[in-house]
Amino acid sequence: MRLTELLGAEVVDQTGGSAGRVHDVRLVQDGPLIGGFGASLRLDGLIVGRRAVGARLGYERRKMKGPLPVRLLFGWLHHDGRYVEWERIERIEPDRILITGSVTDLPQPGPST
Amino acid sequence: MAGRILEAGLHLLDRQLIDKDGRLAGKVDDLELEFPSGGGPPTVTAILAGPGALSRRIGGRFGAWLEAVANRLRDGDDQHPARVSFAVVKGIDSAIDLSVPKRELETNRLEAWTRDHLIGKLPGAGDAPD
Amino acid sequence: MKRLFSVALGILTAIGGFVDIGDIVANSETGARFGMSLAWVVVVGVIGICLFAEMAGRVATVSGRAVFDLVRERLGARVALVNLVASFFITFLTLAAEIGGVALAIELATSVNYLLWVPIVAFCVWLVIWRVKFEVMENAFGLLGLTLVVAAVALWRLGPDWGGLLHGATHPVVPQGEGHPTWWFFAIALLGAAMTPYEVFFFSSGAVEEGWSRADLITNRLNVYIGFPLGGLLSLVLMAGATLFLEPRGIQPGHLSQVALPTVLVLGKLGLAVLLIGFFAATFGAALETGLSCGYSIAQYFGFQWGKFVRPAQAPRFHLVVLVSVLAGAGLILTTLDPITVTEYSIVLSAAALPLTYFPILVVANDPDYMGDKVNSRFTNALGSLYLLVLVVVAVATIPLMVLTKAGS
Repeated sequence: MRLTELLGAEVVDQTGGSAGRVHDVRLVQDGPLIGGFGASLRLDGLIVGRRAVGARLGYERRKMKGPLPVRLLFGWLHHDGRYVEWERIERIEPDRILITGSVTDLPQPGPST
Repeated sequence: MAGRILEAGLHLLDRQLIDKDGRLAGKVDDLELEFPSGGGPPTVTAILAGPGALSRRIGGRFGAWLEAVANRLRDGDDQHPARVSFAVVKGIDSAIDLSVPKRELETNRLEAWTRDHLIGKLPGAGDAPD
Repeated sequence: MKRLFSVALGILTAIGGFVDIGDIVANSETGARFGMSLAWVVVVGVIGICLFAEMAGRVATVSGRAVFDLVRERLGARVALVNLVASFFITFLTLAAEIGGVALAIELATSVNYLLWVPIVAFCVWLVIWRVKFEVMENAFGLLGLTLVVAAVALWRLGPDWGGLLHGATHPVVPQGEGHPTWWFFAIALLGAAMTPYEVFFFSSGAVEEGWSRADLITNRLNVYIGFPLGGLLSLVLMAGATLFLEPRGIQPGHLSQVALPTVLVLGKLGLAVLLIGFFAATFGAALETGLSCGYSIAQYFGFQWGKFVRPAQAPRFHLVVLVSVLAGAGLILTTLDPITVTEYSIVLSAAALPLTYFPILVVANDPDYMGDKVNSRFTNALGSLYLLVLVVVAVATIPLMVLTKAGS
């Protein structure tokens, strides 16, 4: 599977409600060992939201402080981000990811490192 | 102890690949994920680079055209994009450091071709910058 | 002592390298038509380029990464591709304009038609990029460009009404008989000429080429904060020359000889000869920079090895892009498209594309993961944000104004 198959896919629940699209994917380095790298990166969950613009600029990170107007703008644009843990994914289809439960009870992603 | 936490888009995608000798070896255009045999979440097994991988990121008509060009450039039946196994990744910080030299990577094909057939033929191509 | 010498060299090179065909054309045309009423735009443009060049240089020095590398990383592959296409096209257009400019300067010296010089110029531009060491290239053409100071000498010798000039500069009023939209259109062109995107690509890539380290950060600041404003002053000298000689006669400079008029009338043949060396150096130097920038932007987006700091054989695709760009640029001029017109389009489109280039720089300059303790100060951020806002307004206004004023005619 390629990462691009996940990015941009729409996340929906059984009732058809949408949580937005996948902006990014959280990885944790605790998978099986892979060569010289060490523990491989395991897919932990999906970061989902409605507006994808500026997701990579870095304002989700605690450390990025300025410039102030830019940080405020992107903070506002991304305030509706949600986190989908791997266990909640039911099925992955082209451009669509089905999750268990409802899109309304997804937690917030929390700040990235 | 919890392992290091990263985000693929924020820390891996579109990052510069730097080889063992400090030379630039392309960008992370996509990541390959594989499901372990015992079930459970997939893990990142390789970096995909080159026009074959970039075409999916860009998408749309331009991406499709780029992919067609890339497939034409790859002679033979292997239509998969150039792959850098995660086993040769030495470190991830502002760039991705690799533990092997560029010439051992699949991603080097176009660069080598350009050197051998075009630029390398011009006088002075091999001269070190004084 | 040696340190002082290298700082002086850096500043002098920055002054001599500041002016290119875009500045020559923009300042002369503006002076001829609007007098000194748009001089303030040059000041705004110089402050802007100082701000962002210092930032881009600092980012490249501390993180080791040049602009387009970071543009793709921060904006993602798709948005950065749009950015790349726009920036590359404009840089390419500027490259063609500079090649044309060199040919025009030689035509002025030899009276041999400029078209015949284009292939030779293109070959020489490529050859210098291929063979000459980066620092030698920069220093040689930068210092040679200082000969443009002769235009300032001519202005001084003329003993013009300084008060009148100053009054015109400090009272930005649209002259009689000219429309407001056209005035603003010329303002945008002047801004585009002063703040061209390629300067930032080149400056940041140059920092990596020359292997700048943290110890060089202060030198970088001095070069930028002293060198660029003095270079901007040379632009204003050209504007003043046009105000004094061309505006009263109602001449619209469509030819490089008209730009040289003030210097010729005051200092004669010798003055002209020195000025032509200056034109040649400014345009040839800029042709080198834009040629390299075409390579830098594409190579940095795709991640290929770039730069003159490695053997050409180790950066083949980079050199291929440079070679093809120079050939295509020469080709464009050989279609007999007026190089002055190509220049005009390149500076106007530059103004429209400025936010694309400057926004990622402003963001990365704030990232502590890349910059450590060298992140932007609050003042720099405030000024940078203000500029970005202005540049967005300019970008949005450019095409409509261009259509409205029929490109300033």
